[in-house]
Amino acid sequence: MTRRAAPYVVAIAGAVVVTIAIGLVSMRFEVPGLSALYLLLVLWLGATWGRGPAVAGSVAAFLLYDYFFVPPVGTFAVRGQTELLELVVLLAVALVTGQLAGSLRRTQSAAEALAADERAMYELATAALRSPEVTVALGLLSERAVRLQGVSRFALVAMDFGSAIPLAGGDVSADELRQAAWSYENKHPIGVALSDGAVRLMRTSPESKEPAYVPLVSGVAVMTIDPGGSDPGDLRMLAALVGLADLLLDRRRAVLEAERARGFEASDRLKAAILSSLSHELKSPIASLRAGLTALMAPQAGLQAEQRELLGDMDNQASRLDRLVGDMLALSRLEAGVELEREPHQFEDLVGTALHQLRPVLKGREVTLEIADDLPPVEVDELQVGRVLTNLIENANEWAPADGRITVGASTNEERLTAWVENDGPAIAPTDLERVFETFWSRRARGSGLGLAISKRVVEAHGGTIRAENRRRGPRFTFTLPLARIAATR
Amino acid sequence: MSGRVLVVDDEVEMQRALRTGLRYHDFDVRAVGTGEEALRESAAWRPDVILLDLGLPGMDGFATLRALRPATRAAVIVVSVMPGEKDKVRALDAGADDYVVKPFGTDELVARIRAVLRRQADLSAGEPVIRAGDLEIDLARRSVTAGGRAVKLTPTEYELLRYLALHAGKPVTHTTLLRQVWGEYAVGDKYNTRYVVAQIRKKLGDDPANPRYIVNEPGVGYRLQA
Repeated sequence: MTRRAAPYVVAIAGAVVVTIAIGLVSMRFEVPGLSALYLLLVLWLGATWGRGPAVAGSVAAFLLYDYFFVPPVGTFAVRGQTELLELVVLLAVALVTGQLAGSLRRTQSAAEALAADERAMYELATAALRSPEVTVALGLLSERAVRLQGVSRFALVAMDFGSAIPLAGGDVSADELRQAAWSYENKHPIGVALSDGAVRLMRTSPESKEPAYVPLVSGVAVMTIDPGGSDPGDLRMLAALVGLADLLLDRRRAVLEAERARGFEASDRLKAAILSSLSHELKSPIASLRAGLTALMAPQAGLQAEQRELLGDMDNQASRLDRLVGDMLALSRLEAGVELEREPHQFEDLVGTALHQLRPVLKGREVTLEIADDLPPVEVDELQVGRVLTNLIENANEWAPADGRITVGASTNEERLTAWVENDGPAIAPTDLERVFETFWSRRARGSGLGLAISKRVVEAHGGTIRAENRRRGPRFTFTLPLARIAATR
Repeated sequence: MSGRVLVVDDEVEMQRALRTGLRYHDFDVRAVGTGEEALRESAAWRPDVILLDLGLPGMDGFATLRALRPATRAAVIVVSVMPGEKDKVRALDAGADDYVVKPFGTDELVARIRAVLRRQADLSAGEPVIRAGDLEIDLARRSVTAGGRAVKLTPTEYELLRYLALHAGKPVTHTTLLRQVWGEYAVGDKYNTRYVVAQIRKKLGDDPANPRYIVNEPGVGYRLQA
């Protein structure tokens, strides 16, 4: 009570002091309007303590001034109109300035409280950013939270790839972890609500000491709030701390995910490097084999036709081995996510390149082209799509009968180019139409079983589709490719 | 003897196979295992063709190629296991005449060697008319005929075809073509050369899906069939 009364005592004492001061001055000098000195006092009272003390001060000033200076001096009576007006103005000014100063003071104290909150948050945030381990910062945060009035516990639980892990603020029981996980999965707070930047308790029974749960982006805040003893400022601060915890947990998860991705990437790179060097090691002896075998096939080597034939068979096997190694490397690179070098290409050019490369394989077999004139360019990786075409044409070549026909066709609509390779060999069993694209699945005992699997991956890497079907003439492989975005220069 | 071939390969089995195989095709062959030896042998023996493996121990294939290039007039055919397209382009830009991917058959290699030798002979003869199949390019009159039929080309198209013809049988990179046809500071896109090549093919009556004259070298550039 004494603390609340003190401003009023000061107000009255102030009024007395000012009255004495005015009295002393007016004994020696004739100064008009000295009553304005009271205004200073009232203003100061209002600014320091608000309206109440200011009004008390102004009433005291009014009475003292009236008694000692307004004629008739020594009474509270007022005679002249001017004096009366002077007193009324004094009172009115006291009221208005007291009011103004009081509201100013309230705003200021609110701003100071906010600034204090912000300073605390800032200190926490910088501490969080400086410490490399986010968990340290989360620990600091939870310590700060339990210093708030009415908050007896503040724990943080991270949700890492589906499992709840307590990170800061002490132990969390298995039961509480389950609750936290539920809250996280359903994005539903338990026992509290966050609204207007403050934490509000939502309790059916106010005595409950059960913790409350707030789901965050990458975790859950578990807190115990005393329903009685918390003030609005502290609940706002609590909400801000929850927000900061949210950011920190999210940062922690981003770091974890990046590490995981780097791990995967490194293992992919390692795999690709091992395969690349392994392929190199496998291909070098094949190169010597083929050079030696084919050297002996020259007529100058003087071997008989039968012997040359044998060498030819061996060379074919060596070539097959070479293809197999190449296909395995190509497939593993595609699986590791090869980067496509996409550029605009005329589909005809790609077919021309493939046919040129396959000349030794096709051995003069005609390939019929049903490629529409003036097709717009496709946006593809030339080498990879070239691989698809050579695989499909080679496949057709193996299945078409000796006098059979291979057809390569293409047409476009506004979005994509559709191409197909067809032969008049035996139909593919309906159950195998999907399986032909599986790795190591081959209709022949001798095939590598990789050509179509590679083709499928290349086409899909370009955002297209590939399928096998049986047409009237024979099996057909159809795939789609994206059109170039730029308009063809014509 | 149809020419001197220097084999540069660090594998003894490969050296022996090539020595035997190429001798059956009447080439005079020597084989060495390092870049340093290749430089010495190239200066002392003066081969017509050098088969240079890119994966040499010590001084690697590219370094050897750069050291060889100013010193020798020999055609250099780069040999490599699984070269990336960038390696091919790099080798061609460093002065290689052609590349062959390991493993290869002797016939294929012999065909490549004969092609570079023929080109060297043509170039030194200074023939004013270049022939590739039934394609004829008269450098003096700047005229082109395909199968006896006169073909009218724009200056850009002619320049591109002339450059390919001067290097008939050799793969020419997109960058080289851009520079040769559009000038040293040409900024362009592979699409420019592709477009011009498409126009030339159309005028020559060449089917892009089954080209007789200009063949694509995927990821590298073009080659005029010799």
